[in-house]
Amino acid sequence: MSSIPWPFPELRDQLSSVKARAGNRVQSWARKRQGSDPSTTRLRPSRVYILPTGVGIIFGFMAFAMLLGSMNYNNNLSFVLTFLLAGIGFVSMHQCQRNLVGLELTFAGADPVFAGQAIRFRIAVTNQSKSARYGIRLHATDTSSDTHDLAPGESKVFVLPVPTSKRGQIGLERFGVRTLFPFELFRSWAWLHMDISGLVYPAPATDAPQPPPTMVAHGHRQHDARGEEDFAGLRKYHEGDSPRHVAWKAYARSGQLLSKQFAGADTSSQWFDFGAIASNDVEKRLSILTRWIVDADRTLEDYGLRVPGNEFAPAHGEVHRRKCLETLALFKEGQSS
Amino acid sequence: MTRARGTDGSLLASLPWTLAALIIALVPHVPFLPVWISGAFLGCAAWRYIIEKRRRTLPSSWLRAALALFCFLGVLFTYSSISGVGPGSALLAIMAALKLLETRKRRDQFVLLFLSIFLVMSSLLREQYLWSLPYMVVSMLVIMSAWLRMSAGESQSPRQSFATAGRLLMYAAPLAIVMWVFFPRIATPFWTVPIDTSQATSGISDTMSPGDISSLSMSNEVAFRVSFDDAIPEPRERYWRGLVLIRFNGRTWTGRDPSISPGALEQIEVTGEPIDYEVTLEPTRQQWVFALDVPTQWSLSEIFMGPDQQLARNVPFEQRVAYRITSFTNYKISAELSNLHRNWYSSLPEGSNPRTAELARQMRSDAGSDSAYVESVLQKLNREEYFYTLDPPPLGSNPVDRFMFDTKRGFCEHYASAFAVMMRSVGIPARIVLGYQGGEINPLGGHLIVRQSDAHAWTEVWLDGLGWYRVDPTAAVAPERIDIGASDAAFEAFGRAWGLTAPSRLLHRAKLALDAIDAKWNELVLGYGPDAQNSFMKWLGMNNPTWRKMMLTLIALVGGLVMLISVVLMLRYRPPSKDSAALLYQQFVRKTGLEPHTGETALVFAARIGKTGQFPEQTVDEITEAYLDARYGRNNAAAFERLRTAVRAMA
Repeated sequence: MSSIPWPFPELRDQLSSVKARAGNRVQSWARKRQGSDPSTTRLRPSRVYILPTGVGIIFGFMAFAMLLGSMNYNNNLSFVLTFLLAGIGFVSMHQCQRNLVGLELTFAGADPVFAGQAIRFRIAVTNQSKSARYGIRLHATDTSSDTHDLAPGESKVFVLPVPTSKRGQIGLERFGVRTLFPFELFRSWAWLHMDISGLVYPAPATDAPQPPPTMVAHGHRQHDARGEEDFAGLRKYHEGDSPRHVAWKAYARSGQLLSKQFAGADTSSQWFDFGAIASNDVEKRLSILTRWIVDADRTLEDYGLRVPGNEFAPAHGEVHRRKCLETLALFKEGQSS
Repeated sequence: MTRARGTDGSLLASLPWTLAALIIALVPHVPFLPVWISGAFLGCAAWRYIIEKRRRTLPSSWLRAALALFCFLGVLFTYSSISGVGPGSALLAIMAALKLLETRKRRDQFVLLFLSIFLVMSSLLREQYLWSLPYMVVSMLVIMSAWLRMSAGESQSPRQSFATAGRLLMYAAPLAIVMWVFFPRIATPFWTVPIDTSQATSGISDTMSPGDISSLSMSNEVAFRVSFDDAIPEPRERYWRGLVLIRFNGRTWTGRDPSISPGALEQIEVTGEPIDYEVTLEPTRQQWVFALDVPTQWSLSEIFMGPDQQLARNVPFEQRVAYRITSFTNYKISAELSNLHRNWYSSLPEGSNPRTAELARQMRSDAGSDSAYVESVLQKLNREEYFYTLDPPPLGSNPVDRFMFDTKRGFCEHYASAFAVMMRSVGIPARIVLGYQGGEINPLGGHLIVRQSDAHAWTEVWLDGLGWYRVDPTAAVAPERIDIGASDAAFEAFGRAWGLTAPSRLLHRAKLALDAIDAKWNELVLGYGPDAQNSFMKWLGMNNPTWRKMMLTLIALVGGLVMLISVVLMLRYRPPSKDSAALLYQQFVRKTGLEPHTGETALVFAARIGKTGQFPEQTVDEITEAYLDARYGRNNAAAFERLRTAVRAMA
């Protein structure tokens, strides 16, 4: 039973380290043998590996014991049973391997996450054959997807959640696809080395100082010929917005203070400046900037970002947010482009 | 380990199948198991199912431990042993029942399925009938389906699991057959086999006490089957010699007294044509070898001939065995008999059965010679009021006297015993032979069936110049017993009693057909031992088959078959071909009832169908589009599936 403690903890550690080392050797061998894969890979038979599971080994021992029994009793019917079991073993080995061969795997992207969250790599698996595939599962170090079946012609997206700890580009050097179908006697799997990566933003700081006060930015104004500005929409009123721009009619209707926005107009906006944060720790500063961006985005405020070598004028919206966070994620100290 | 966690119903999809697998594996054991074990198993199975269904908690480990101890003691008490097939399968059933009560994970279910396979195995060790093979295949189908239910989970429908298990078994079957044929069989077991001795057999007994058991069972069980190389001898020549009884204590006939040395073997002189035949003997748990009177040669080396022409094997027959024998029905045994043996074969206990002894002396002096005396005793049995019956009254003390003068009813044992006592009373050496007489010819199989109901007892007397001479006093009383055979006679009577001549004849024919199949089954499947394998290999063209050659053939054939299976699987899993899309499209064309013109594209054809207005436009468009995708697009399995479902759905 699993609750009984293993009496030699040191031996177990040694064993598991030996196992890990052997695993690494095998994996680097597989890497060298297979090379890297294109983003859509069809599994060829030569790269689908197979080994018996624990259940399979017990099954083998049972069949052998039954063979000895049949020989001893000279019982022809129990010979039939024994050989039927052996036949099932052979057949399930091939069936298990065939359950994977020919599957098509395509990397389908991963949404960026903040450091500390799990990034969810999406991999589409397509069954291009006439028969259904059962019990398919993706796995990588310390993680695995759910198990799915694939009907003939079906394509399903498998999600591999990978935990993250720091910002930047995160890659998935290797992942596997495996199956235990039909009888769990064998496990067959394939390793894939696709060019898979996702972006991890810095984690938003939890103890960030107040963002810098809102300023009115000048000098970017461009009036058109009529001297009027194009109305671009409404946004929530902020302290310091010109009373000329308040949408009083909307206030009368809804009781909510909103400011009119004009294209090319003066905007009240805030600048998040890397250099202005009083901290020596780069990561800390990035983390604080992230927090400010996240908060400002949530309240639909305009914000600009200034980091060494990069500047984004105040704006808001999904594209802006992504650009800013991407810059922070990939920020390198001393970069000057 | 005192926790008793509840269940969450997660096993509901697979547990009923595991239960079904266990039950189907247990059914063949039920007639042999004590009722309480089958009851305990069913109780535990129902209990466990309800626990899962209602999400109750499993019984505590204390309760389980107590139950386990109780059941183990129960088995020990019932069987007074825990080795052998009987107690072994009882323990397996108990283990499965108790394991059910602690099954909460998939791993536990694996244990249950392994147990069910062992149960199937032990049922095969117990009995191997014709139906055992199909039943075993069905059991394996259910077990493997349950296995699949468990490992594939709920995503597979039960029907799919069943179909997949069936398909995989079908692939495994040729592999199993090849391994079965070529795996080298060995003659001698590795270790002595503990065979279940609790089961009674209906062989003939080692002693004979006429009058003790007042009726003879008419068991229709087959004792042995015989196939003759040439013609089957006449019924009156079919005396199947078994064991010989010599000592008589006034009541019971027994075998040879081990303290008396048998002396030189009797000499056998034979004349006439030899009769060659093969006997397939059902297991008797005894060592007697039955052969036509009198055997001169036999095939098995373990068989030897003891004194009194008694054939035996040094170990009892625990399994069905086939042996070849050469016999002569014309023979003369021991023309000379020493005085010592003469006295010995004619000794009777002092003062037993006095009235018979008196009658014997009287008749002997009237007859004048030994052979005339034998004749007159037979005539007495024939002419006076002696009846052949299978249900005679009990005889009490001095049974021969009671039989000869009072009851005058009995079967072969009574007559043989009385006749032998009559002979010995006047100093003529006499002995009793137990065996079988007659047998029924199965016209379908061309063999002779000898049943337990053909068991018979007769006498041999030693006469000057003739040697040991067979006398069957029963023949004098009931000649039809010898000419027709016991079972035939009984069968005719049965049919007449119920007025069922034709149907009972039909039934009889059916029984004979079944017997012929059974005999072939025994010969070809169950009897496939070292000898049969050897000759089959030679028939296949393997000269001088050794185990090494057979193993190499086995490996080569299995390798070839596995490759073939691999190819079949590859074909199954290949992408749908463009041609199969075209075939589906042709089905669609047929269903429309229109004929496409030469050179007409699918789109033009679809437009033409649309004009007829007979078919919904949507269906036609869907099919056409899917067809074009599947045929001309990238090899797309999804398009093929769409095409197939759409064409199938079309009316």
